[in-house]
Amino acid sequence: MASLSHALSSPQYILPPPALIRRQALAPRRHLRRRAPAAAISAAIQWNRKPQLAGETPRVVVVTSGKGGVGKTTTTANVGLSLARFGFAVVAVDADAGLRNLDLLLGLENRVNYTAVEVLNGDCRLDQALVRDRRCPSLELLCISKPRSKLPLGFGAKALTWVVDALRSRPSGPPHFVLIDCPAGIDAGFITAIAPANEAVLVTTPDITALRDADRVTGLLECDGIRDIKMIVNRVRTDLIRGEDMMSVLDVQEMLGLALLGVIPEDSEVIKSTNRGYPLVLNKPPTIAGLAFEQAAWRLVEQDTMTAVMVEEEPRKKGFFSFFGG
Amino acid sequence: MTSMTKALSLLPFQSIFPQIISIRDVKGWNSKTLQSFRLDSRWLRRTRGDSRPLISVRASGDALDSSGDSERAGDGTPVEVEGNRLDLERKLGSFRELGNALPPAVLVIKRNSVSKFAIALYIAFAFLAIAARQIMLKKKNHHQGSVADLVRRGQLRSDRRGISKPMKYDDPFNNPFIKFGKGDSTIEMFGKVYRLASVTLTKEQQSVHQKRRSRAYQWKRPTIFLKEGDPIPPDVDPETVRWIPANHPFATTASDIDEDVAQHNVYQKHGVPFRVKAEHEALQRKLESLQSEQKLNEVALDLNNIRDFERPFKTSMKPQDPEPNSSANQQNGLLTLKSDEETGTSDGESFSGELKKY
Repeated sequence: MASLSHALSSPQYILPPPALIRRQALAPRRHLRRRAPAAAISAAIQWNRKPQLAGETPRVVVVTSGKGGVGKTTTTANVGLSLARFGFAVVAVDADAGLRNLDLLLGLENRVNYTAVEVLNGDCRLDQALVRDRRCPSLELLCISKPRSKLPLGFGAKALTWVVDALRSRPSGPPHFVLIDCPAGIDAGFITAIAPANEAVLVTTPDITALRDADRVTGLLECDGIRDIKMIVNRVRTDLIRGEDMMSVLDVQEMLGLALLGVIPEDSEVIKSTNRGYPLVLNKPPTIAGLAFEQAAWRLVEQDTMTAVMVEEEPRKKGFFSFFGG
Repeated sequence: MTSMTKALSLLPFQSIFPQIISIRDVKGWNSKTLQSFRLDSRWLRRTRGDSRPLISVRASGDALDSSGDSERAGDGTPVEVEGNRLDLERKLGSFRELGNALPPAVLVIKRNSVSKFAIALYIAFAFLAIAARQIMLKKKNHHQGSVADLVRRGQLRSDRRGISKPMKYDDPFNNPFIKFGKGDSTIEMFGKVYRLASVTLTKEQQSVHQKRRSRAYQWKRPTIFLKEGDPIPPDVDPETVRWIPANHPFATTASDIDEDVAQHNVYQKHGVPFRVKAEHEALQRKLESLQSEQKLNEVALDLNNIRDFERPFKTSMKPQDPEPNSSANQQNGLLTLKSDEETGTSDGESFSGELKKY
């Protein structure tokens, strides 16, 4: 443990050498073996009350990761819809100019007629380009461009800043949240997405490739002045963690040094919901990943972080009467 | 019963009698070992170790068939015994002796009445256990699709059995799949029990990580994008320049967008959008110019004027003679902004409604 923290603090290593990470990750963790003092359940799950909105509105949150395929768009869709279900006005912005997907996840792909590019060109007004979700009317979607249209590279950041300013001063009142779905990489799309943001949600998976990218992106965000960065660890498999085959959430947190907004377990329902265009949080009956997204949205509202993570217990041994079907 | 057991005890020897017996033994075979083939304690004692004989009794229809087989001898190799009739009778006689020596199973049972009672008890217990298991499984299957299943699936709470109103999943503050443990340290979610492990990251560790990153990553957000080879403008920090390869297939640094107009468009809250308004005004100007040249009724009947307002959407027909000063070209000349021409068709109703105001 000490060697890892030393490696992280030493300037020559951006991240510890991979071999060290692997050894640390696969080595038995003492703090996991040892029973931690019982944390209150409220540290992991909030329940039976409406979340209290903290901070100035609109809160402009960019959902980013650096690496592709870790679940940025899924997170944006589900957290956005959860916020809308909590009763907050949300505008979800797909800042991926060339490869937008947020409309697919929300099931709104057939209703996107205008994008921010049309607003800039004067083909429509901003309120006409916002697509309202019929399931949760307080959620609106804005795509920055159509897949084939070209936006000049240096212009995206300015345009998105204007859009957020315009939303701030719209007649129906500013939205509570503007969630910006950032494209993968750190190129022009990333620069466009982070330009108007005040806070960031970093999505990562518990593997070393995603962690390296996440660390770099965190550094860039901090250089840009975004200090409020929280982390969502996605696609966590508690069975693999129990077998020491996957880094635990606490390992990830130790490597990145970021506050935890949520832990999303691996769930086969995610791909099903993507296929249906029906976000997880609307599933009936609820799914475990949808529930985790809901809890992450809860903490985002309250600017709260996780103080405890859930560790899967050993399955109960079957008793004598299990032979009789009990 | 007794007759049947006697018949069973004799049956193997009678059926084997006319046939040739081949016995395989890893240790070899001779007639002495055959004679000692008895299930007595000495034999059992001998077979406890490694020298457990593998005995296979092979029957063949004709003794002459196996007469040509060469006798294989030696340690560890199977030996096929082929003997003359006398040897065979002698061996089978020893088998008969063995059969006579073994008492029938019924007699063995009769010998000890206590063990008989125990066996009966065991059999009865086994029947009872099987019956109980069947009843339990039947009971379990019988409840499939019942209200208990609804409770198990979370549709109903166990404490809400009498309430006919089903639980709504629309309520994000109430999830029936979550059950809290008694000690406030365990949660049962979706059938799995989780315990809580406290987060160990401290504020000091967070600040250490921030310092590490600030040393590792020196970055300024690029504000200007230039093609490789372009000169840097004088008032621009070189660190904020992002260089794009000149042959990049997708990225474009050329911007023909009037930024003031674009910003005004974004901030526009009411009224007709800029471009739609410009198109409308251009058409109106053209109409006015036509009206000034000719009378209105003539305009309505003049085919040339009608053709001016037609849009060439019938691509399958032969293209008509191109007109050098068509209205479409004039519109393109007026507007400098580029846009995807596929857009703007679906919300045409709202736009046409607003155009009627003018």
